[in-house]
Amino acid sequence: MTDILVTMQQELEAALKRKPEERRWSMLIDLRKCVGCHACTIGCISENKLPPQLKYRPVHEYEQGQYPDVSRTFLPKPCMQCDKPPCVDICPVKGSDGATWKEEDGVAAGIVAINYDKCIGCQKCIAACPYNSRTIDKGAFHSDGTPALQKYETMAAFEYGKPLRRTKEDNPKGIARKCHFCVHRVANGMLPQCITTCIGRAGYFGDANDPKSTISQVMKANRVQLLRNGKGKKGEDLKPRVYYIANQKLEVLYAQD
Amino acid sequence: MPRTDMTRRDFLKRSALVGCGALVASQLDFAHGLIARVEAGELTQFEAYQLMQAENSLYSVCLNCNTGCGIKVKIMDGVAVKIDGSPYNPFTLHPHLDMKTDLKVGAKQDGAICPKGQAGHQGAYDPYRITRVMKRAGKRGENKWQSIPFDQAISEIVNGGILFNHVSGEENRKIIGLKALYAIKDVKVLEEMGKDVASLRKKKTADEKQKAIAEFKVKHAANLDKLIDPEHPDFGPKNNQFVYWWGRKKGGRSDFSKRFYDVFGTVNTHGHTTVCQGSLYFASKAMSEQYVGDTFKDGQKFYWQPDQENSEYILFVGSNLFDGNYGPPNRTPRMTQRLVDGKLKITVIDPRFTKLASKASRWVPIKPGADAAFAMGMTRWILENKRYNAPYLAAANKAAAAVNKDTTWSNGSWLVKLDDKGKPGTFLRAHEIGLKEKETRKDKDGKEFNFEYLVTMQNGKPVAFDPNDDKSAVTGELFVTAELRDKDGKAVKVKSGLQIMKETADEKTIAQYAEICGIEAKVIEEVAKEFTSHGRKACVDVHRGPAQHTNGFYNISALMNLNLLLGNYDWKGGMIVASTFNTDGTKNDSQPFNLGKLKPKGGKQFGLSVIRHDAKFEESTLFKDKSSYPAKRNWWPLSSDVYEEILPSMADAYPYGAKVVFSYMGAPSYSLPAGQTQIEALINLDNIPLYFASDITIGSTTMYADYIFPDLHYLERWEMQGSHPNMPVKVQPVRQPVIASPNEVVTVFGEQQPISYETVWLALAEKLGLAGFGKDGFAKGQDLSRPDDFYIRMVANIAYDGKEPVPDASDAEVDIFLKARKHLPKNVFDADRWQAIAGPSWKKVVYLLNRGGRFDSQEASYKGDHVANKWGKQINLYQEKTAKCKDAFTGKSYHGMARYVPIADVLDREPVEQSKGYDLHLITQRDVRMTKSRTIANQYLTDSMPENGIVIHTSDAKKLGLKTGDKVKVLSSTNPEGAWDLKNGRKKTMVGSVQVTETIRPGVITFTLGHGHWSTGAEDVTIDGKVIKGDKRRAGGIHANAAMWIDPHLKNTCMIDKVGGSVSFYDTKVKLVKV
Repeated sequence: MTDILVTMQQELEAALKRKPEERRWSMLIDLRKCVGCHACTIGCISENKLPPQLKYRPVHEYEQGQYPDVSRTFLPKPCMQCDKPPCVDICPVKGSDGATWKEEDGVAAGIVAINYDKCIGCQKCIAACPYNSRTIDKGAFHSDGTPALQKYETMAAFEYGKPLRRTKEDNPKGIARKCHFCVHRVANGMLPQCITTCIGRAGYFGDANDPKSTISQVMKANRVQLLRNGKGKKGEDLKPRVYYIANQKLEVLYAQD
Repeated sequence: MPRTDMTRRDFLKRSALVGCGALVASQLDFAHGLIARVEAGELTQFEAYQLMQAENSLYSVCLNCNTGCGIKVKIMDGVAVKIDGSPYNPFTLHPHLDMKTDLKVGAKQDGAICPKGQAGHQGAYDPYRITRVMKRAGKRGENKWQSIPFDQAISEIVNGGILFNHVSGEENRKIIGLKALYAIKDVKVLEEMGKDVASLRKKKTADEKQKAIAEFKVKHAANLDKLIDPEHPDFGPKNNQFVYWWGRKKGGRSDFSKRFYDVFGTVNTHGHTTVCQGSLYFASKAMSEQYVGDTFKDGQKFYWQPDQENSEYILFVGSNLFDGNYGPPNRTPRMTQRLVDGKLKITVIDPRFTKLASKASRWVPIKPGADAAFAMGMTRWILENKRYNAPYLAAANKAAAAVNKDTTWSNGSWLVKLDDKGKPGTFLRAHEIGLKEKETRKDKDGKEFNFEYLVTMQNGKPVAFDPNDDKSAVTGELFVTAELRDKDGKAVKVKSGLQIMKETADEKTIAQYAEICGIEAKVIEEVAKEFTSHGRKACVDVHRGPAQHTNGFYNISALMNLNLLLGNYDWKGGMIVASTFNTDGTKNDSQPFNLGKLKPKGGKQFGLSVIRHDAKFEESTLFKDKSSYPAKRNWWPLSSDVYEEILPSMADAYPYGAKVVFSYMGAPSYSLPAGQTQIEALINLDNIPLYFASDITIGSTTMYADYIFPDLHYLERWEMQGSHPNMPVKVQPVRQPVIASPNEVVTVFGEQQPISYETVWLALAEKLGLAGFGKDGFAKGQDLSRPDDFYIRMVANIAYDGKEPVPDASDAEVDIFLKARKHLPKNVFDADRWQAIAGPSWKKVVYLLNRGGRFDSQEASYKGDHVANKWGKQINLYQEKTAKCKDAFTGKSYHGMARYVPIADVLDREPVEQSKGYDLHLITQRDVRMTKSRTIANQYLTDSMPENGIVIHTSDAKKLGLKTGDKVKVLSSTNPEGAWDLKNGRKKTMVGSVQVTETIRPGVITFTLGHGHWSTGAEDVTIDGKVIKGDKRRAGGIHANAAMWIDPHLKNTCMIDKVGGSVSFYDTKVKLVKV
């Protein structure tokens, strides 16, 4: 018996040795096991030193039915890391050195990335994403309104493997931000933060191209769904990399939003 | 963003540029394990990730709730920047990594913790922390403070005097200090007086008692001035007027304070248990009382929980373990996959459709307070349908249990005597019917004691037995009603325990029980059938829900008895107990520091406590005869740590007022029902003349203190967390300093240390000249002058408990240990000092601290079909000790058999009057994002949950014209204004946002605890004349405890469970008014 957090991390080490083009980093969330604790949301905020009101991975809560035949469902929602991302298509800062792109090389291959130095804060990507996965950084601090800014808030986070400090003078204010599957952890053989702090073990991460990986096995054994059936606002196929297992059709839940 | 891979050289250059020079050294090491990727040309600046290095990882224990999950605190530049679960600790990985696992592997493997744990460091970096001693500059609770030198505060508390002449009205108020209360120091005097008081208490009549008092006064004439009241010697010495109480305190810190008060000699040391789930603890204590000699004793304040990773069916009653209940990170992963796979089925009994209910196969939205009715309905069905474990229940003693491979046994087959009205009393002793005579036996230490055989029935004939006999098995008939003859031929009516259970259950039909519960009868039957369909792999798990009612004790007893009907205790998938490694060195001879011996001989304290615990009213000098009923306040022969009693009892001076009060990490004004009554007591200068506190902020109770000493945050200090009964693995998680403290550094016993809880005790001991502290405090050459003197010794003891000690740390591990602590100042961590304390144990201490404690392996936690760490003793189905206690208000005996008892005040009046005009039943809940009073400082949490709300059913909302988001005020008959009276003209109305839902029983409303603060940074305070602005986020949401009923007889305390001690959290009727 091994905790899947240990197993999946071992698989991750092995997957890192494979060629980027052979790998497909994917996430699977089993809503039957999600207990709505929000540890993923807050673990992610702490890991990435996110400011107030900026969540890379919110957990939506839904209630259905009439007393006493009711249900409650919790739906964590990271960035889907679409293979055909509308947010990238619409970004005006294009080119090989653009503001956002679908990474194809190295450990981060498959991730929709943002270069904070290049983002102009036009917010077009925010509107384009059907999953509301992008948020504008308002430049705030958690200690705002208290007697003192705290040092931990200004310490480096490691998004995209680059130490990023957040100071009053220098922070990504006005820039679009989003989940990146914690590639800085993945690159180091560690699972994304939301997966490792999932107390229900509802989250899976790994190489979906490896049929022996835990994520592939669980996907194979269950009926898997995509949020919004993987469709963009114009009905186009987005090919998201985040999959769900649920007792019901996700649209039913998502329609409540 | 690395669009193209960087070379290693580029990476190092980049690192230096961004000021991460420290990385360069460790980079080599780190890269070592990544050779494959170097060869693949993939090594990139991604390796800048500092949070995965063993040198940056320190292991400790969370305390944002009492689950106490193991944590890995990740440090950069001396700052705790990230917290994750410790992979070595079974609370965050299942199974956890073996302790032998290399630290570098551990550093990369994060365990799962809850959002409160993830946000934990924000409590340490709370801008509202106090770092110097605060002395009141205005009236109590006026939020005006001055910072003063530590030594001044200690002097004032010890010496007393006119201390608040700067406060209007207190110019001439003279305060008695601790020195004057350290009245009896002579151990012999203390013991002699204690003995005489004990015999005085055994006198049967008031006259005899008066005679004994007169004799006592003559005999102890020289020391009468040292008593609180010579007319009532049973109140004890003035030492008892030092009252110390606490909220969240664990092992280690408990031992530290005990060392002080054992020498000082006060009986007034009280915990907070009854605000949490006291009646669960004390009902379990009653069930765990052992038959020793001729009486029941040695019951443990503890309880059982299911081995949920092996159960097939669990009935959760008022137990919401995805949000609380010791707790989400450890219990959830042991269940979710098994629920999905259908290997575990659960039923949830709760008026609210909790997160746990969302995973249940059945939700039973019972009426609050009806839990025992449900349990007794199930009991009736199980007995009628013979679905109980008959062989288990027939076993009368240990040997008989062993025949069934059981390690526990009940008293279901023992015979109980009935009084002339047929009421069950005590168990029949064999000598009473001339069956077998008493014996004089000797205990382990050769001390003689009286032993009396008990009686069970075999084939209609009484048989004598010894319940602890492990050689000759004795079984008995289950259902017995008989008339025996005593030695004189007089009739003795008896019934077996199980027969009493059956008759009690039969007092109502299942339909009647169901009606009390507000559900259909078939639900009780179906649940009972399911419960009895899984052998011993089914459990009832109970927590606050059934416990926090006026009938809590019997709710819990009735529910726990269901487990006895299955005989599931100690079995895999059954009910289990917590198991921990010993810290005080009293377990085995190889442990280096026997703290039981390394201390001065203290006398045994005596006297009644201010909460009258472990004491019978009838034995006190306050009791004359039957006309003494009802008592002014309750007496607690079966319970202790009765939180709601402490402050109001002192204010009532019943039995006496306090002189000096010290509180640690507790907020009764916030956490207790009708908490405003606690505030009323806190401002009572007459009966609580001096109150000092240890806290990390100016809290919702400590704001009423005279002095507040800054404490350390849990990331800055020591503690021995222990375990919980749902954890099959034997553990001892160690909380240790992982960051420096911002507190003022002071000198005590010549040692520099940041002000802490321990520093306060040490300084008081130094000032009072208390033995056992300071130089040679433990023994010659062994000082106790700072926290690490105490705790390093405990860690060494843990290392040597068990069959084998832990291994020594290798040199490489010692190196990591030192590097990981390089940011800690010498007044916290000094390797040489620690090594000197530990002596030859040092490398084991390092090994253990490198993993945040000691943890057995998953494999070692089970043996065959049993858990390895067993209860292994008798469990009472019928409670003789309970039956022998009397209700201090009515004078009636308590029931020895669990039953349904209606909600009532202390005079047994059902709350009909209080309910008139108030139609909604108020209960509370937890959300995993908040602990009661401390997590409001964690902004990640308030950002996620800015406010709680009043959760109400659609139909009730419709009647009141309410929709989600509407603001309402909560009113009750004992708080018709719907406000907290914070005193000094300040009030906080109880207004919250409505959340309309289908997921709650109609007629019931709830709110989650943790919001609606008026202190802890929520409001402005003045310190040294400067206004510190509060953070409005901390006042968000509603805290409706002040609406909860005040007991009409007590008048200054919430409603209570007078048997088990719990406060009534879920019995009040309220109304909502739109604002």
